[in-house]
Amino acid sequence: MSFRNPVKVLLLSILSGFILLSSAFGWEESQDIAYRLKWLANTSTVGDLYADARGMFAENGLKVLVKPGGPERDAIKELELGRAQFGVASADQIIRALSKGAKIYVLAQIFQVNPLQWIYRPDKSPLDKPADLKGKIVGITYGGIDENIMKALLSKYRISESDLTLYSVRYDFTPFYQRKVDLWPIYRNAQGPIIGNKIRDAGEKIDYFDPDAHGIHTVANSVITSEEVLNHHPQMAARFMSALIKGWELSMDPVNAEKAVQTIRQFDRDTDEDIIREQLALTRQFVKPRKDVPFGRIDVPAWKQTEEMMVAQKLILRPIGIDKYLKQAK
Amino acid sequence: MLHKRIYQFLIVYAVGLSVLFLVKYGLNLSDYVIPPPKEVWITGQKYWLEYLREVLDTLSVAVFGHILSILLAAVVAVIGRLTNWVGSFIKMGAYNIQSYPIVAVAPIIFILFGDGIAARLLITVMICYFPLLLSFIGIFSEPVYHIEHFYTATHRLTWGLSLRIRVFENIAKLVTVISGSATVAMVGTIVAEFIAADDGIGYRIRIALYQSDLSKILTALFLIGICTSLYLLSLEYIGLRIRKRPGISAGSFS
Amino acid sequence: MHIDLEKLSFGHADSDTRVFEEFSHRIEGPGFNALFGPSGVGKTTLARIIAGEMNGFSGKVASSGLSRILYTYNLERLPDWSGIGEHFKAVTPTSQTGFLNELTRIFGLDPYLESRYAQLSLGQQNRANLTRYLVQDFDVLIMDESLANVDEGTKKDIILLVKKRFPDRLFLYISHNVVEVSRYCKNILVVRRPDKSPQILTVSGFDDMGEQEPERETLERIMLEMMNAS
Repeated sequence: MSFRNPVKVLLLSILSGFILLSSAFGWEESQDIAYRLKWLANTSTVGDLYADARGMFAENGLKVLVKPGGPERDAIKELELGRAQFGVASADQIIRALSKGAKIYVLAQIFQVNPLQWIYRPDKSPLDKPADLKGKIVGITYGGIDENIMKALLSKYRISESDLTLYSVRYDFTPFYQRKVDLWPIYRNAQGPIIGNKIRDAGEKIDYFDPDAHGIHTVANSVITSEEVLNHHPQMAARFMSALIKGWELSMDPVNAEKAVQTIRQFDRDTDEDIIREQLALTRQFVKPRKDVPFGRIDVPAWKQTEEMMVAQKLILRPIGIDKYLKQAK
Repeated sequence: MLHKRIYQFLIVYAVGLSVLFLVKYGLNLSDYVIPPPKEVWITGQKYWLEYLREVLDTLSVAVFGHILSILLAAVVAVIGRLTNWVGSFIKMGAYNIQSYPIVAVAPIIFILFGDGIAARLLITVMICYFPLLLSFIGIFSEPVYHIEHFYTATHRLTWGLSLRIRVFENIAKLVTVISGSATVAMVGTIVAEFIAADDGIGYRIRIALYQSDLSKILTALFLIGICTSLYLLSLEYIGLRIRKRPGISAGSFS
Repeated sequence: MHIDLEKLSFGHADSDTRVFEEFSHRIEGPGFNALFGPSGVGKTTLARIIAGEMNGFSGKVASSGLSRILYTYNLERLPDWSGIGEHFKAVTPTSQTGFLNELTRIFGLDPYLESRYAQLSLGQQNRANLTRYLVQDFDVLIMDESLANVDEGTKKDIILLVKKRFPDRLFLYISHNVVEVSRYCKNILVVRRPDKSPQILTVSGFDDMGEQEPERETLERIMLEMMNAS
């Protein structure tokens, strides 16, 4: 075989790279299980950390590597590429991926109520009803779920986008601190105690605008897995979910509050214990709003509303029938 | 030269795209992970004009930021040559600022400059100027002994004259360093827009990333590649013109 | 006028090689003198020590009545951002303008005043470089290979002009050309290796002032003395 032809050499190199790459994928049950979170280890992931640190996975005979997420991490892609077997993704991410043929299933819905709310200063920007948004400067993350939620809310209450000013937000809260923006999107349970307390400490009053209270029921973080895992390793998936549910149930039980706080502290050394306690209490309201609501209950109507919202906003071209992909874990 | 540069970019882009599609179909990945060629094509057709405007917006900031970086690096390098306290203080400050990650400095930049054009420019300059500074310091502080000797011996060598000699003698190196840093300026502006702006292609990439829309990102990358190639070409052309000016001897390029 | 070199010692920092070992010598002026010797013996080092352009030696360089010592060498360049004429004007004191014009004429540089330094031939470059030194205010001028690549006729014109124009100054001319050194120089300081003592021997040259052609035998005798000394 001659290697003088550069095109042949290039094709061969690509092919070899491709073979090497594919051999890196694929997952065997004997290997560790990777669980990719949506965000960094914090109170919003308390049940995941609790199951890991307190040996629930090990009790079920599983060796699980819990991997923190971040803005550039995408659990769905990692599932498809075989780099993770379970993951956490937001509902909009999941619906978007399903609309593009991703082979994934939802096993549990972590938050029963979406903790995404808008923080505001009631003295400066009084806000009793959605119509009061008119004339305000409202922060949204373009491309993020908060953009979709706010637009759905505006549409529901027939408020035109021209009646208010949308302000593009990112990680940094400075424009809100500087009072350049009236409402800023925030994860009520995780960011609320930190940001809210900071503003309160500065002598200002704060409040939160909750779209869920105004009829926009959307889904936030949910546990997902791939079709491959569900079809070929159903027992392992069941053991994983049973351990995870146990971890969440125990961590949400007020009796175990201190244990939960200490577990979070193992992974998140930067947040004060008092803040974590406050975050934990709030997280409980979103994850287990009532004692009789089991952890992970999939709120099918909320999923359908999220899907309808995305169709209405042309984020997906056509309905995907989300209920087909919801496989409630027991 | 223009055609060659563009062809080279198109080849690199096509090879990259082919590898992506090869991986997609080889591993049977969904359209969410890697979009199909048809989707990339349709997205490209739908967004190219809009994205081109954004890329040109980014490019204009990058060019302006590049010029500012050159000026800043030149000023810092000149002041840094001073042997007194001010010189060493400014040099140390420049090195320190560079060592901070931009994401960490971003809140301070927002407070001081808001999140408009000024913040974009500043971040671009912060990312772009350091490699320039290192080169400038190297060039400005390296004596051209065979030329400077006469002026030193006759007590005529002022700092301005020595700077002029060193710049003139190293003009080819400077042109190469400046052309090379154009790419860094473009990348710096995109990073700035990613973290600190509501305009430009970096901002659009951020949105596309939120939406996991690789088709849009591929469209953006294509346009960024074309525009950056054109900018580099313009700089190389200016460099060529400078080299052809009378008095720029072959010796200046040795 | 004279320059006294007292117990001069010097060695290169990056090697153990000694260039000078505690030697003393008096260089008498005025006149067109030479520093002569084989390559690597330390002529340039000595010239730069005398001109005050080098540190790291021990001993002393003392001079009487010599306040400005200039050193020029053949690798020097003029900046190329303008023609050589413009450079000359910029560095020539007003009182020397007439002399500058005379020099550029005799040195054959008049047609090239608009040219950049890099565009000149090697010989023209050396002449241009020397020109700007000659119009400076100096007591001693050390010319290190300053007339290399200059043709014999022009070289003769230049040296004779310099000798006539500056009879009260001291020149130290460094060249490997035995014939021109023996012919034009007054005192030839033969620099020798540090293991030889004394490290500088003085040979009297013909000191041609352009008045009469030197006899061949005279030059041969001087050259033989130079060779024997080195």
